[in-house]
Amino acid sequence: MRSWLSLRDPRFGLPIVFVYLPVYVLIDKLTYVQPVLKLDIDPWNPQTALTLAFLLAVGPRGLPVTALAAFTAEGLVHGMQAPWWVLLMACLWIACGYTALALLMRRWGLHHPIESCAQAMRLTGAVMVASFIVVVGYVSLVTFGGALPRPLVSGALARYWVGDVIAILTLVPLWMYADRWRSGLRELRRGLPVAAVQLGVVALTLWLIFGLNQTDQVRFFYLLFVPVIWITLRWGVPGAILSALAIQIGVIVAVQYDVHAPLLVDLQFLLLTLTLTALLLGAVVTERAAALQRVATSEAEQRALLATAPDAVLTVSARGWICSANPQAQRLFGLDPRLEHERSLHELLPGLDLLCAYGRTTLEGRRIEGSSFPAEIAWARLEAPATADFLVIVRDVTERRRAEIQLRERERALSDAMRFAVAGELASALAHELKQPITALVSYLQAAGILAAPLAAQDARLALTLGKATHEAHRAAEVLRRLRDFYRNGAIKREAVQLAALCRSIVSAFHERLHSNAITLAVNLPPALPTLQGDVTQLEIVLHNLLSNAIDAVSQQPVDCRRIQLSADSSATAVTFQVRDAGPGIAPDVAEKLFEPFVTTKPDGMGLGLAISRSLLRAQGGDLVYEPGGAQGGGCFIVHLPLNPEAQQRQATRIMSFGAVT
Amino acid sequence: MNDPTVFVVDDDAGIRDALSLLISLKGLRSAVFATAEDFLNTYCAEWRGCLLTDLQMPGMHGLQLQRALAERDIRLPVVVLTAHGDVATTREALKNGALDFLEKPVDDEILVDVLRNAIHIDEQRHQAASAHVQALERFARLTPREQAVLQLLADGLQHRDIAERLNISPRTVEVYKSRMMEKLQLRTLADVVRFGAGIPHGTN
Repeated sequence: MRSWLSLRDPRFGLPIVFVYLPVYVLIDKLTYVQPVLKLDIDPWNPQTALTLAFLLAVGPRGLPVTALAAFTAEGLVHGMQAPWWVLLMACLWIACGYTALALLMRRWGLHHPIESCAQAMRLTGAVMVASFIVVVGYVSLVTFGGALPRPLVSGALARYWVGDVIAILTLVPLWMYADRWRSGLRELRRGLPVAAVQLGVVALTLWLIFGLNQTDQVRFFYLLFVPVIWITLRWGVPGAILSALAIQIGVIVAVQYDVHAPLLVDLQFLLLTLTLTALLLGAVVTERAAALQRVATSEAEQRALLATAPDAVLTVSARGWICSANPQAQRLFGLDPRLEHERSLHELLPGLDLLCAYGRTTLEGRRIEGSSFPAEIAWARLEAPATADFLVIVRDVTERRRAEIQLRERERALSDAMRFAVAGELASALAHELKQPITALVSYLQAAGILAAPLAAQDARLALTLGKATHEAHRAAEVLRRLRDFYRNGAIKREAVQLAALCRSIVSAFHERLHSNAITLAVNLPPALPTLQGDVTQLEIVLHNLLSNAIDAVSQQPVDCRRIQLSADSSATAVTFQVRDAGPGIAPDVAEKLFEPFVTTKPDGMGLGLAISRSLLRAQGGDLVYEPGGAQGGGCFIVHLPLNPEAQQRQATRIMSFGAVT
Repeated sequence: MNDPTVFVVDDDAGIRDALSLLISLKGLRSAVFATAEDFLNTYCAEWRGCLLTDLQMPGMHGLQLQRALAERDIRLPVVVLTAHGDVATTREALKNGALDFLEKPVDDEILVDVLRNAIHIDEQRHQAASAHVQALERFARLTPREQAVLQLLADGLQHRDIAERLNISPRTVEVYKSRMMEKLQLRTLADVVRFGAGIPHGTN
C-alpha cells in the first residue's frame, strides 16, 4: 500500500516541482522571523528542509528548480536586498550545496528512517558541516555584494546556520518517516493517554518558560529536556522529532507574541542542543528496541528448535550440573522438569568427560528410574556462556541397534541358506556326474569277474580282488548318495509369505547398488499380491539372484539402457514374477543350457545361481524360465509359483521327477 | 532280433559299453542306443525282450520315453536304471508302467535277475497274445450259426432261449453246439464259456 505521502517515490518528481516552488515561497514568507537586514537570513528556515527533502526525492535534476525557488523568494519575500546577479549566484550556491548534501545522504543511506546511533551521528554531522559551508558561501557573496555590513557577518552566519540545521534536523527526519504514518497512528492510538499527558507537559513547560512574564527565559529552557527525554524514551526517533518540532513551533509563537522574549537565535541554539539530544537518544532507543526484538525472535526460534528437535538436548554447566533439558531429554531420561537443575550429567551419562571443546562419543545412557540405553552423544562448548557451558545432544539408538542386529541376522540367514543351496546343487551335480563312471566301473568289474572265472583255479585271489574292487566302487557311490540326500532332505518350510513385503525388502536391499550404478528399477506390483505358503528364505534367494544378475547385466550398458523391471501378476492359483532387464541378453547357445550347473556368462561367476534358483522353485512346486527380450534386446526371467500347497505338492512330485534333466 | 534281447538306452557311452558287455557275458543278447529317439526310430514290432533305460538324458528323458512307448502301443517291459533314486521319480516311473526300478550302480546278479524276469514276462505276454490270435482264427473257421451259438452260450443263455433268439428248434441248437465243440476241441461247457470270453462281441 502506497500512501499519497510517498514523496520519496521518484515517479512523483515532476508533479511536485509545481507544488514545491509556491510552497517554498509561502513557507519562507511565513517564517520570516527576526531577519538580518531583511536578507534571507533568519534563525528558522523550514524552507531549507523542504529543499533538501525535495532534492532527496527528485535527485540532482531538482537543482535548477531549487535555485529558482530561492531566487523567487529573494524577489517576492525579501525584495532584492542585493544586486540581482549577486543574489542569483548566492541562490545557485545554496542549490548546489544542498544538492551535494542530498547526494551524500543518498550515498550513505541517510535518507531512510533512523535505525541506529551511528546513522543519527552521521546525519547530524553531515547536515551541520554542509549547512556551514552553504551558509559561509551565501553570507560571503551577500557581503561581497555590499548587502551586509562586515560587523554583522558573524551574527548573520550564526543565525542562518542554526536556522538551517535545526529546520533540517527536525523536518527532514519527519519526511523520512512519512511512509510510516499509518503504523505511527496505530501506535499513537494505543498510547494516546500517555501522548496526551506528554503533550500537556510540554505545553505546561513552555508556559512556565515563556508565559510567566519572566525576564530571563533562557535560564529555564533546560526544563524542556525532561518532557522531551520522556517522550523520546517512550516513542523513539519519531517522538523526538515531533516533540522538537512542537517546541520549535511553541518557541516561534512565543517569540512572535512575547515582547520580553530573548533573541530567537539564542533560543534556537538551545533548541538545537535539545533536538540533537533527543535525536541521538531516539536512535539509541530505536536501536535497543530492534536489538531486543532480535533477541526475542532468536530466543523464540531457539525454543522452537529445542522443542521440535528429534534428539534430547541438554545444557550443562562447567561443573556438570544440568541447566536445561528440552522435552525430548525429559522424556528420554525421565527427568522431572522442576528438578532437572538438581541433576548432574554424571547421573545420566556416566563416563562422559567434557574435556574438549566439542566431541562425539557413544556410551550407555542411564534413565532416572535406573534402566539404560545405548546413546550417541555430541557436545560443544558454548561460545558465550550465560549459565550453561556445554550443549549436549543425546540420541537414543536402541531402535537403530535393534534394526541393525535384525538386518545382520537376516543377512546371515540368507547367506547361510545360499551357501546350503550352493552346496546342495554342487552335491547333486557331483553325484550325478560321478555316478555314471562309477556305474560303468562296477559293470566292467563284474564283467571282468565273469571273464576271470575260468582262471580262478590258477589264482583264487583274482576273483577276490575283483570283488573287493566292486565293493569299493559301490562304497564310493554310497558316499555320493548320502551326500546328495543330506542336502536334498532339507525340509522345505511352509510359512505364510507376504509377497509384497518380500519384494519391498529385497528391492530395498539393492538400493545402494542401484544408486551407485545409476540403474533405474521399476517395480510394478499389483495392488493386492496374495499371501503364499512357501519358504520365504528360498524365495528371497531366487529373487535376490535374479535381481543381482539383472544389475550385472545392465551395469556395463550406456546409462539410458540401465533399466530393470520387476513386475508381478497373480491369478487364483498362481503368482508370476518377471525380472526384465535391458541388458545385452543371453546368446541362444548359452540360453539352451542356462540352468545347468557351472554355466555362466560372468568372468567370476560359478554358474550356480540360476541352477539353484530353479531347483529351489521346483522343490516348492514352481518353476523358473528364461524368455529372450526379442527385438529390443535384454531378457526376462519368469518365476512361476502355485498358490495352493496341495497342487504345489503334486506338481513338485512331477517336476522333480523330470528334474535336473539337462 | 526276434530272439529275446535287452535294449539298453543310456546317454553315457561308458555305461552302454559296460552294461552290454556284462549282459552278454550273462548269456543275454543286448542292443544299445544313445538316445530314446534312436530307439524309437529303429524299433520293429517283432522285437522281443525288454528295455533297460536311464532316466536323465538329454533330449527325451526316461519318463517321456515310457509315455512314447504307451502311445505307440509298444508292450516291451521297461526296466528303469537311474542315478537319482528318489521316491517321487520312482513312483512316477512305476505309475507309467515300469516293471522294475534300479539305482546306479547296480549289482550284476540283481540286474540279470530283473532282466531275465522281464524277458520272461515278455515271452508270456507274447504267448498269450499268440494264443488269443489262434483262438480268433479257430473262431473264424466256424459257420455263422455256430459262432452265434457259441457267443450266446458264453453269455449264459439256455438252449431254449438260444433257439428262440435264433428262430430255430432247441434240437438244432444242440447240433450246432456239438459241431462247434468238436471243431474247437472243447469238452465241457466251462471250456466253451472261457473260449467265448476271449472273443470280442460282434466278431463274425
